[in-house]
Amino acid sequence: MQPVIELDNLEVRLGERTVLNKLTASLTGRSIGLLGPNGAGKSTLINTLLGFHAPAAGTARVIGLDIRTRARQVRGLTGYMPENDSFIASMSGVRFVRLMAELSGLPQEQALERAHEAFFYVGLGEVRYRQIGTYSLGMKQMTKLAQAIVHGPKVLFLDEPTNGLDPPARKRMIQLIQEIRDHGDLHLILSSHLLRDVEECCDQVLILKDGQIAAFCNLEEERRANRKFLELETRGANGTFTAALAKLGCQTAPGAGGRIKLVLPDGVEIRQLYELAAQQQVQIRRIHCKRDSLEDIFFKAMEPANGRL
Amino acid sequence: MNAGAIELDDVSKFYGDVLGVNRVHLSIPTGVTSLVGPNGSGKTTLMNLITGLIRPTRGQVRVLGLSPAKHPDILRKIGYCTQFDAFPKGLTGYQFVYWFLRLHGFPRAEANALTRQALERTGMREAADRHVASYSKGMRQRVKLAQAIAHNPSVLVLDEPLNGLDPMARAETIALFREWAGEGRFVLVSSHILHEVDRISDQVILLSHGYVVAEGQIQGVRSEVKDHPIQVLVRCDQPGLLASRLFEQDHVVEARIHEDGKGLLIRTRDADRLYLLLNRVVLELGLEVESVAPADEDVNSVYQYLIGAEGGTA
Amino acid sequence: MAVYKKTYRRYEGPLTPERQRFLVIPRYAFEEMRRSRFLNLFFLASFIWPLICALVIYLHHNLSALKLLNLDADKLIRIDAGFFLTYLGIQSMGAFFLAAFVGPGQVSPDLANNALPLYLARPFSRSEYVLGKMLVLVTLLSLMTWVPGLLLFALQGYLEGASWMAANLRIAAGLFFGAWIWILVLSLLALALSAWVKWRPAAGGLLFGVFFVAAGFGGAINGILRTRWGNLLNISHLIGSVWVSLFEEPMRRGAGAVFFRVARGEEIPIWCCWAALLGVCLICLFLLGRKIRGVEVVR
Repeated sequence: MQPVIELDNLEVRLGERTVLNKLTASLTGRSIGLLGPNGAGKSTLINTLLGFHAPAAGTARVIGLDIRTRARQVRGLTGYMPENDSFIASMSGVRFVRLMAELSGLPQEQALERAHEAFFYVGLGEVRYRQIGTYSLGMKQMTKLAQAIVHGPKVLFLDEPTNGLDPPARKRMIQLIQEIRDHGDLHLILSSHLLRDVEECCDQVLILKDGQIAAFCNLEEERRANRKFLELETRGANGTFTAALAKLGCQTAPGAGGRIKLVLPDGVEIRQLYELAAQQQVQIRRIHCKRDSLEDIFFKAMEPANGRL
Repeated sequence: MNAGAIELDDVSKFYGDVLGVNRVHLSIPTGVTSLVGPNGSGKTTLMNLITGLIRPTRGQVRVLGLSPAKHPDILRKIGYCTQFDAFPKGLTGYQFVYWFLRLHGFPRAEANALTRQALERTGMREAADRHVASYSKGMRQRVKLAQAIAHNPSVLVLDEPLNGLDPMARAETIALFREWAGEGRFVLVSSHILHEVDRISDQVILLSHGYVVAEGQIQGVRSEVKDHPIQVLVRCDQPGLLASRLFEQDHVVEARIHEDGKGLLIRTRDADRLYLLLNRVVLELGLEVESVAPADEDVNSVYQYLIGAEGGTA
Repeated sequence: MAVYKKTYRRYEGPLTPERQRFLVIPRYAFEEMRRSRFLNLFFLASFIWPLICALVIYLHHNLSALKLLNLDADKLIRIDAGFFLTYLGIQSMGAFFLAAFVGPGQVSPDLANNALPLYLARPFSRSEYVLGKMLVLVTLLSLMTWVPGLLLFALQGYLEGASWMAANLRIAAGLFFGAWIWILVLSLLALALSAWVKWRPAAGGLLFGVFFVAAGFGGAINGILRTRWGNLLNISHLIGSVWVSLFEEPMRRGAGAVFFRVARGEEIPIWCCWAALLGVCLICLFLLGRKIRGVEVVR
């Protein structure tokens, strides 16, 4: 399968600082998360792929198109939802998105149709006829998303899409992104500081640090593995319960809030835990598979490499 | 009059005709208190009332026994970090915090020491001498936090303090909040990220349309919301079979099979009896259970029940 | 019955030709301008002077009308290079006001809320953006200056005869190129100022400032240093000199058109004028280049 994004020794310098340092990677997932601390180069990477920065050395390819030589075509295939506020205050929502569609090459009538379709899709109704300057933050974010998808791109760059949104709006945005990922015929690149957003929306994650790739992992695989780490919340348990668990062969450790963390060895089933609980009159109120969550992966990637100061 | 709390006594604030908050009655103890609610529900108004930036139209606000609007000396004990990304032009990070301290009346040497300390604590030591205009968003956020904590206040009012911070900085800042809470300070945090609110707060205040809809510890709040039965999610291999046994009980109100066929969402009026029953049934039927979790004991669910989906995009 | 589910779908239809994409910008700009009543009125009012000129030309050739008004053909204004120069001068001043009103609204709204990255994240380059914006101003200003001017010239030629036209082609060329110099300088200045000053009234005011304050400054230099080179700062002087050379206008009274007067004894070499104007244009292009980008890099 052709990779969505290929980085080939990409080096980008801003002023005297080398912001991206010989990045090499091949990203193939349907939905790719971009993580990293502030200053790691996430925005610079996206800006470079869009052609706003020229690479100092190396190159990158988006859907097989080289960003150095075919930048214009690359931009024809991509949609961009920037992190900061980006709109024209005196235009109505529909007019703005229509302008953006026409700039991407759509003829007038189709542009208007697609603009309305995009607004319908993101869930903005009558609001689209009001001036964008009067919109709330959630509406502005949705408008940004609308202009990013109106021309039907193959690759969608989303930079902090849930920035500043209150919980219902966040949920709606995440649902929309998941819907686009599942049913839309395109690839998503999601850059965010909120690990949960990335966990919910992405299946591959690229972690940058100091302009280099700190980790690249496949969340799907991570989820399938690691079913043996459990966290139990009980009522009525005491030392004897834990001791009995240990006798079964499980490694136990006290968890936060009075919970019990344990590792199930091969051959021991969860049913046996219930048997133990029934014997000891213990209520099992929660069983929770604690797999290597994105948080653990991220923090592990942030640790300084061995042997370096 | 409790000198050890932040109290709002039947407080209302109107901006002309526009409602800020209406008849708010709160007593906030020490520890981490989270302020949750949609945009426009009155969070910023509440914070501005507590820091004395605005006066209530009606009612009284008391911080540590004194009204901040009438007794400016109490402001020494309050630290405020706004949600707005605005700074005086031309200052470096160090200068921003330092001059703020001098405004408070600290002598030069002490202000210098406190500034360095605050910048160290928020991880801004290296970038302190660069201009704020050249900072990234996360760095600006941390400088704001440094300014809020520099004078060692007992009351910290932080409006969306984690906005723009990367995961590591978030974890460090959260650890900082818990540290301060442990020292007996009042830490008031407003946030939209509900799962973080769950993790960091001791108590929660939910606001909607200018009214306090709920406040207290989250489990306490949940158990008081009696209109909504408790939800428990069980992932197992034969949810249908489990459901049939559960329906024999009168306290089970609803059992819904998850779309992937491997989970059962149970709603019941009596959580204790449900768990005992669950334990028995699992053994009886020989079910393979993957996980068991209360589905709505978190801020997210309480938010849904009490505030709902309003306040999103129109 | 069929149930239709809304989903995201790719766009598979035709695309507009790449070379014509930049025309989207003027189209949208004109649509917005049509809504402003003030602008419509101003634009219509700008045709009053050309109509008056047309009337004068007509009167020259219509003896019966003259007799009606009891006028003598010789006492009327002569239709010569000076006549057309005056016409250009007045219309160009009107064009200045139009540019001050319309210019700031072109680029400022895009920069005020950071919409430029969205423009440039598409197959749309900075040059196309600037070209599109320029076309808006250029079209409007052309319709105010050389288009009616050439029509007046054609009218005169039609009434006087082909020989007059052949003899006075210099005037037509002067109208055309003179207007274009002015249009280019004015548009570039208006756009550049609009890109650097976010607040629209300020950008308009700055345009006035660049002309009048700089002219005053230039005059001050002339007075203090007793030289003529202060006129390099005086854009109206520069334009006036260029026009004089294009029209080959004999020096009578103060040469140059109404507001673009070149005081006698203060002329500077023509190539200096051209060079100065070119310098202004290049500076404007440089300023635009700095501001019209996808990302602002703060060191």
